Amino acid sequence: MKLAERIEEGAFAGGRWQALAAPVDGIVAFAGSFGAAPDFAGGEETLQDLAVSLLDKGTRRRDRFEIASALDRLGANVQFYADGDRIGFQGRCLKQDLGLLLGLTAEQLAEPAFDAAEVEKARDRMTAAVRRSMDSTASRASGALARSLFAPSHPNYSHAPAAKLALLAAADRDRAAAYYAAQYARAGDLLVAVAGDLGGVDVAGLLGEVFARPEAPAAAPNVALRTGSGPAARLLEHMPGKDSLDVRFGHAVPLLRTDAAFIPLMLGVFVLGGNFSARLMATIRDEMGLTYGIGSSLAGFTPDASGYWQVYVTLSRENLVRGIEAVRREVRRFVEGGAGAEELARAQTTITGSYKTALATTLGLATALLTNAERRYPKEYIDRFPEIVQACTLPEVNAAISALLSADRLHEAVAGRLDADALERLGSPG
Amino acid sequence: MAEGFTFVQERSGIAEFTLDANGMQVLVAQQRVAPVVTLMVTYRVGSRNEGAGLTGATHFLEHLMFKGSRRFNKRAGASVFNVLQQVGAQINATTWLDRTNYYELLPAEHLDLAMDVESDRMRGALLDPADVEQERTVILNEFDRGENDPLRKLHQAIFATAYQAHPYRHPTIGWRCDIEQITADDLRGFYDTFYWPNLATLSVIGDVEPEAALALAARRFGGIPAAPVAPAAVRTREPAQEGARRVEVRRPGELGALTLAFKGPDGLHPDADALDVLSVLLSLGKSSLLYRRLTDRGLATSAHAANFRLRDPGLFYLTVQLPPGRTHAEAEEAVWACLREAQSGSFTPEDVQRAQAQLAARQAYSKDGPFAVASLLNEAIAVGDWTLYASYLDRVAAVSAGDVAEAARRWLQPAHSTVGEYIPTAGEDRL
Repeated sequence: MKLAERIEEGAFAGGRWQALAAPVDGIVAFAGSFGAAPDFAGGEETLQDLAVSLLDKGTRRRDRFEIASALDRLGANVQFYADGDRIGFQGRCLKQDLGLLLGLTAEQLAEPAFDAAEVEKARDRMTAAVRRSMDSTASRASGALARSLFAPSHPNYSHAPAAKLALLAAADRDRAAAYYAAQYARAGDLLVAVAGDLGGVDVAGLLGEVFARPEAPAAAPNVALRTGSGPAARLLEHMPGKDSLDVRFGHAVPLLRTDAAFIPLMLGVFVLGGNFSARLMATIRDEMGLTYGIGSSLAGFTPDASGYWQVYVTLSRENLVRGIEAVRREVRRFVEGGAGAEELARAQTTITGSYKTALATTLGLATALLTNAERRYPKEYIDRFPEIVQACTLPEVNAAISALLSADRLHEAVAGRLDADALERLGSPG
Repeated sequence: MAEGFTFVQERSGIAEFTLDANGMQVLVAQQRVAPVVTLMVTYRVGSRNEGAGLTGATHFLEHLMFKGSRRFNKRAGASVFNVLQQVGAQINATTWLDRTNYYELLPAEHLDLAMDVESDRMRGALLDPADVEQERTVILNEFDRGENDPLRKLHQAIFATAYQAHPYRHPTIGWRCDIEQITADDLRGFYDTFYWPNLATLSVIGDVEPEAALALAARRFGGIPAAPVAPAAVRTREPAQEGARRVEVRRPGELGALTLAFKGPDGLHPDADALDVLSVLLSLGKSSLLYRRLTDRGLATSAHAANFRLRDPGLFYLTVQLPPGRTHAEAEEAVWACLREAQSGSFTPEDVQRAQAQLAARQAYSKDGPFAVASLLNEAIAVGDWTLYASYLDRVAAVSAGDVAEAARRWLQPAHSTVGEYIPTAGEDRL
């Protein structure tokens, strides 16, 4: 039986819901989100992160410890997150606590307290997190690549740590509260997915009762943003004491997640670096022993914003030059020669198999339903996705690789302890 | 009853059998959440079993188990990763102090393939010297990645200071010089000592009929003989600690961290349950004591307590990450104050009930998907008794507020502590 046949769906004022009963005893998971529209260039994403980190720090009716105590007594948890143009939440609880937990979550979304002292504490924690990220080679390399590929107005841009610290310093209680209130008020597309032991649960009634917002507007229209990136460049982040360097290669791809070419391209990139048996692991790690971790993926694609192609690798200092040269060589061979029939067949089976195993938990199911809805697909897509993956042909995949990927336009970000001598030997990027 | 097996017991929906041909322990649980199954082989060998000069051998061997076995290897066009990932399996392995585990989470109809791979590499790993050399640089990069992380360095320093005789003092990845010098023969010796069916547990959890799983296990593993010689027991016992110890890690970085570790009991000791409850009361959720006293007051960005339940006496462990502008001394004083509160019996029966509910929910969530069950079982096997997983909730439910205070007084003594500080330095000049 197809999953879609078991999915119930409906609407409440200001949003829509889906529910899927799964044969698990006593556990339910839920996931939800609504659209947001931060001014990325103006640094509102930082304000958004700050506001969202305050959603579990008290409401107008209950202080943070009352909420914490209620959750801890149930052994339940709810997490809130901000992800560019969406603000979301997810949680898991025992079946008998579902109503209580959804009610609490709705209250946290609708009536956050934004207590001034809590804002200060949250800002301190976020400042510390930025400072810690400055200590991570992975974070520094990824951030540098994102800044090189995108303009500040793009959701995939990442402000430099110093700029993030300045934005945080400028954020205050009133701006965070006003920003969040505006986003929540204008969001007419609250999506909620529930999965698990739903026997005897009136999902429609429950969700309508806690989440309905009669005054919510219709969902705002979306403006698609497709961007490419400029010519190849190299970014260096010198980090004393970091003898394993993180290197990122990538370029922007002017494609949306919902475009027809996305899945063929995703399959192609999977052949290059999707898992342990992909080309990059097989050559750079397995044959040459140059790295512990290497891979390639498409990242940052949504139905409204284009993303980028990236190759990531860690290299010990003594292997930096050899490693970068080997990765470039392997990537060029792939872009020019494309994927092979056997490789594609393997990637197709792997992706459809992984999709199946990801649906093995209630949270996996709820998240899959939510992601599907966020991409504005009908519920049937949850079954169609593996069929679409299997139906991709080798010419389609290689056409996508050839049209959308370029070894010459690869930007390169290197973070770690850098030797002047090694850098001289690297030559120009791209 | 499946042919070739002796039924041992059934607890919490998990049935234990012994494969008669070689003594392999087999655990089976049917779970029909999704049409997937987890197969896990847990070898009862970890870095605890490594001698001088061979640190990291367990982990190195774990890597080589993916480089090829008699029938599953690249030269035969069937590497372990290729064969399993092409049916959509998620596969990996981990090494820890007391065990090494290999697992596949895959569509249920491919269970036999996973069994085939695991049985082939149980005694048929190639351990080719050329593969050892290729993998050495891979592991050295993994080592360097770990060295980048100051908290990991602090963790290593704490273990190396708290333990002076017991092999828990060695990091599971090994010391760099040992990784650089270990030979294929060394690894072969290790493999031939520990990789036998009677020294392993096979766990099968998921959408599978137990009889069918057992039949597959008998077919794939039944022909492998038991170990000809029992491995030597780890005889070293950590001597009693006679005074507080301190250690510092100084390296370039941004923000400091603090760890306090105390010698605890072994993982099957009754006090380990009270210490688990204590760790929850101290740091799980926003009503926990460390959250309220440190994180909520801006003395820490995070504070965690964990009870390392190990086969030999483990550590009760508290880690605090410092925000800008706060000192190690302030945070340490606050942690000691929390511990004194715990020792004085400040946790009420209601607090303990809340912690028990949190642990019960965690156990219930483990039934949400086959991997979580296998994963918890794996750690119980490592401690020495898989039924710890089955009896865990009963054990925890029996803990009283008085037990928590008593365990805190008995085990969290300053004289048995090791305190470590990560102190960030400015680093060298830029290029």
